[in-house]
Amino acid sequence: MRSRRVAIVGVGNSTIGRSTGLSLEQLSAQACLAAIEDAGIGLLEIDGVAVHVTPWEPLAATQIADLLGLDELAFFSGSFDGPTYATAAINAITAVASGTCDVCLTLRSIKRTGSAPQSRLTDMASAKGNNQFLSPYGALGAIHWAGMMKQRHMEIFGTTDEQFGAYLIAQREFAIRNDEAVFRLPLEMGDYLDSRYVSEPLRLLDCDYPIDSSGAVIFTTEERAKDLRQPAVMVDAWALGTANVGDFYILDELTVGAPFAAARRMWSRTGLTAGDVDVAGVYDGFSIIALQWLEAFGFCGVGESGPFVESGATRAGGSIPVNTDGGACNVGRRHGTNFFIEMTRQLRGQCGDRQIDGAEVAVVSNGAGRLAGCVVLTR
Amino acid sequence: MTAASMTPAIAPPSPAMDQLTSFFWEGARRHELQILRCQSCGHFRHWPKPICNRCQSTDLVPERVSGRGWVISWTVARQAFHPWFEGRVPYTLGIVELAEEWGLKLVTNLVGASPHHLAIGMGVQVEFVEVADGIVLPAFRPTKRAPRL
Repeated sequence: MRSRRVAIVGVGNSTIGRSTGLSLEQLSAQACLAAIEDAGIGLLEIDGVAVHVTPWEPLAATQIADLLGLDELAFFSGSFDGPTYATAAINAITAVASGTCDVCLTLRSIKRTGSAPQSRLTDMASAKGNNQFLSPYGALGAIHWAGMMKQRHMEIFGTTDEQFGAYLIAQREFAIRNDEAVFRLPLEMGDYLDSRYVSEPLRLLDCDYPIDSSGAVIFTTEERAKDLRQPAVMVDAWALGTANVGDFYILDELTVGAPFAAARRMWSRTGLTAGDVDVAGVYDGFSIIALQWLEAFGFCGVGESGPFVESGATRAGGSIPVNTDGGACNVGRRHGTNFFIEMTRQLRGQCGDRQIDGAEVAVVSNGAGRLAGCVVLTR
Repeated sequence: MTAASMTPAIAPPSPAMDQLTSFFWEGARRHELQILRCQSCGHFRHWPKPICNRCQSTDLVPERVSGRGWVISWTVARQAFHPWFEGRVPYTLGIVELAEEWGLKLVTNLVGASPHHLAIGMGVQVEFVEVADGIVLPAFRPTKRAPRL
């Protein structure tokens, strides 16, 4: 099988909200149908399904297929091991590129309560495996790791709280123009600096917003994309990367990690460079991760993301507008689907008030710490 | 029996010791910090695994280490994500690199210093904290001022 060029042809969201009352299956079905409608593709043309799932919210690719009435799958993949939704996207891209399947539906569905650490109390009562070296100390999830990462970035590079605030204000400016965002009121520096510490120096507003949601994206071949409803968005290059695969805390360098490995590998696979990118969707599970991705992609130097975001570089009109949907801090914890969906819409020119004029090249990223993935998309 | 005494006591998250990890927790009860060490290449491996990730030898044995190290990073947990830690916040979490080997790191609690006096690179020494009956955690206390970065 020869390698085929891959395109994104459909994107869709479920109802999104703090407590939708909808089940994972309902959310998933909504997002899949929205993406299929967006693409204008026949349901039964879908011959691949790729998902990212967690052990506490298992919903396998074959269950999604069953839900929708897809009986003939040439490819199905569901993994917990990887940079959340980007794992599903990259599995789909490789499956279509290789000819394993022709049309691959991908999704990530999350219930707000499902991802809260509190829901895993029973796991912690008796901490097994690696977790026995974390939770007895009160190291109870990604928040504490992110607090240490922010602390190290601040102490080593001199990054200030006001610089994190400037980044979040810039994202919020985009969210105000996105009617799918959850937070749409202007954010002032005082609001950020007054937001409480969760894991000092990490503040509440440094964190993405837990929410019920599903997002779906459909990948197919360049050939099949030609006569579908939407202008095709092409996948130019992609890569996964790791750093110290054993654990998020025990990295050789907390402020570097897998995003740098993934981005370096991705750039080695394309003729495009960071300077060619018009708009970026970078994972902001915590704001420090977004700053790290800006450095990893090479939009600024290592350790220089603080002054970079403070200069307004990531705002509309800046050198690299970032997270034009508002990012996960404003559209909710989507585990990556929002970045693929928003960057696809930017390259189609469908972003209305927040459209980046002439956007032709976009990057999308997901993950941090020990594992990461990223993709270059072009018009 | 009073209503209060009928309320189930909240237990701390406790290490589920297994064949591979019991040496660490039993060592802590004796106030010894023990780390698994490869007998073939000398590499220390934490967290414990049945194979050396440097030379792939399966001959690994616990060895007592100095308990000296320095702070890689730290954070002050302000919100309790488990009922045991309600009333115990704020507490300080840290990553400590041990003196024995570059990259030999533990996640731990930093004790005995105000967070405002903590700094990356600060020297620390292990001490042992009994958080509940039979659960002894190796924690670390600063020993001197941080070097200038």
